[in-house]
Amino acid sequence: MNTKNTLKTTAALLGLGLLLTGCAQDGANATGAAASESPATQASSLQASETWAKAAQTGMTAAFGVLHNAGSTDIELAKVEDQAGNVIQIHETTGTGTDAKMSQLDGALKIEAGKDAVLEPGGTHLMYMDLKAPLVASETASLTLSFSDGSSTEVPFEVRNFTGAKESYENHGGMDHGSMDHESMNHDG
Amino acid sequence: MLLGTSAAAALGGVLAGFGTSQAVAGPATAAAPAQQGPQYLPFHGKYQSGILDAPQAHAVFVGWNLNWRDGGKKDQLRSLLKMITDDAQRLTAGRGVLADTEAEMAAGPSDLTLTVGVGQSLLDVMGGAKVGTLPGFAGDKLHKRYGQSDLLIQFCGQDPTVLAHAVRAVSKNLRGLADKQFIQRGFMHQRGSGDTFRNLFGQVDGVNNPQGETRELAVFGTPDQPSWIANGTTLALRRFEMDLEGWDEVATSGRDFALGRRQSDGSPLTGSVPEDPVDLDAVNEVGLPVIGANSHVALAMPRSAQEAIHRRGYNFVDVEASGLLFASYQRDPATSFIPLQRRLAEADLLNTWLTPRGSALYAILPGIEPGMYLGQQLLG
Repeated sequence: MNTKNTLKTTAALLGLGLLLTGCAQDGANATGAAASESPATQASSLQASETWAKAAQTGMTAAFGVLHNAGSTDIELAKVEDQAGNVIQIHETTGTGTDAKMSQLDGALKIEAGKDAVLEPGGTHLMYMDLKAPLVASETASLTLSFSDGSSTEVPFEVRNFTGAKESYENHGGMDHGSMDHESMNHDG
Repeated sequence: MLLGTSAAAALGGVLAGFGTSQAVAGPATAAAPAQQGPQYLPFHGKYQSGILDAPQAHAVFVGWNLNWRDGGKKDQLRSLLKMITDDAQRLTAGRGVLADTEAEMAAGPSDLTLTVGVGQSLLDVMGGAKVGTLPGFAGDKLHKRYGQSDLLIQFCGQDPTVLAHAVRAVSKNLRGLADKQFIQRGFMHQRGSGDTFRNLFGQVDGVNNPQGETRELAVFGTPDQPSWIANGTTLALRRFEMDLEGWDEVATSGRDFALGRRQSDGSPLTGSVPEDPVDLDAVNEVGLPVIGANSHVALAMPRSAQEAIHRRGYNFVDVEASGLLFASYQRDPATSFIPLQRRLAEADLLNTWLTPRGSALYAILPGIEPGMYLGQQLLG
């Protein structure tokens, strides 16, 4: 029994170590410099984690995650691009439920020093306006995030199946999606 | 099945099993040692979790077949295994997977393990390695659904809700990439009984399962004589339906003779406690063998150290049938599980009440370090 209990204790300690390692890894997964340094660029202040994009064959889809500003000054995400040349906009959602309205963010997405921008279904997100090629679940979509100081960094978004967040965004007074195709307004965001 | 397999004895090991001693402790003597509650078990390591660990109370075995897209299969398999690796390390640490809509259900330590194996079909994609498939055995009346699949994940845990979420989360992520062929749910004892449990015949199952280093040797071999890959192993999954109605009609003496052990406490008919030796030479006062040559224990006894297997089976109760999900881990099925199962399939007295419905063999991938993905040793 003693052996057994010793093993259990060891397992517990290992488990704890793993959790900590796991957290550290999320940080390591992020691009950019350590928080302790004074980063030279906005891009190097970015630590992205939990980044994923919704699998889709065609049309619109979205990318989500946590963008952490590990620097000591505010950063501003100005532009999102990818290798395929997809049009990707930064969208914000205001209101909730059937009153939710989505629109392209007016200007850059500001992330205050030490704070997170949480990109999530139903909230702020990165919107692919019309996929040029499918985003296949289990694969990785790479996005280039550019900041207002002209710096940029590449962030991997894991592609996952997701069928939620199908709020209808039919003209609910004030919604303005510009050139968006209104036939596919089951907008994933 | 394979009750009373004296694997450790065959290997010359000494059994002072935690599980065995727990098995004989009845309610009156249940002075159980202080148990730690369920934990977050490590996902990374030399071996995958869920193999050598004490069996959790609940298990779900899920088999999938992959849907291939255009393009290289190796790349598709690699990204799928990367996703499963990410899912498994999150879930076992109590976190939701990416895009999880019910991440709250992942919280709470429950000894959750996900153990990933691949069939020969995927090994072929990975290149090189061979584990093969299980041959047919006498008496097999297999349902295709419970046969070989491309991919298998053994989910085990103490909390059925956490377990259900884990299965659901991984299934959602695999949607479109793979079709589920089977989902087989099993259960055993409450936490703390070690390897032994009552199967649905009422028998003490898991007696003399190899313990400690003996178990590790039986499952993973040695550096000189590893399984199909270093730190990997194989899982044979057989689904046995039990004829519980027929079993009801069998008297205790008949049950004990068919097994070679007593239903009451799991002791062999040639002993008084479960760990006593199974003596096939012992005769009664009229000169007849005490343990019949066709009894389950006689046939299940390993003929050599090479035949040792590690049983990690579970009971199941479905709408249409009840029985045992026989999960057996071994270094090399060709020298252990297959000859042993063949012997049992041909003559075991218990076969009267058993119908094999499922049969599959998987190559269990080696363990990984943080930053790696399962299968990287082959695909990297």
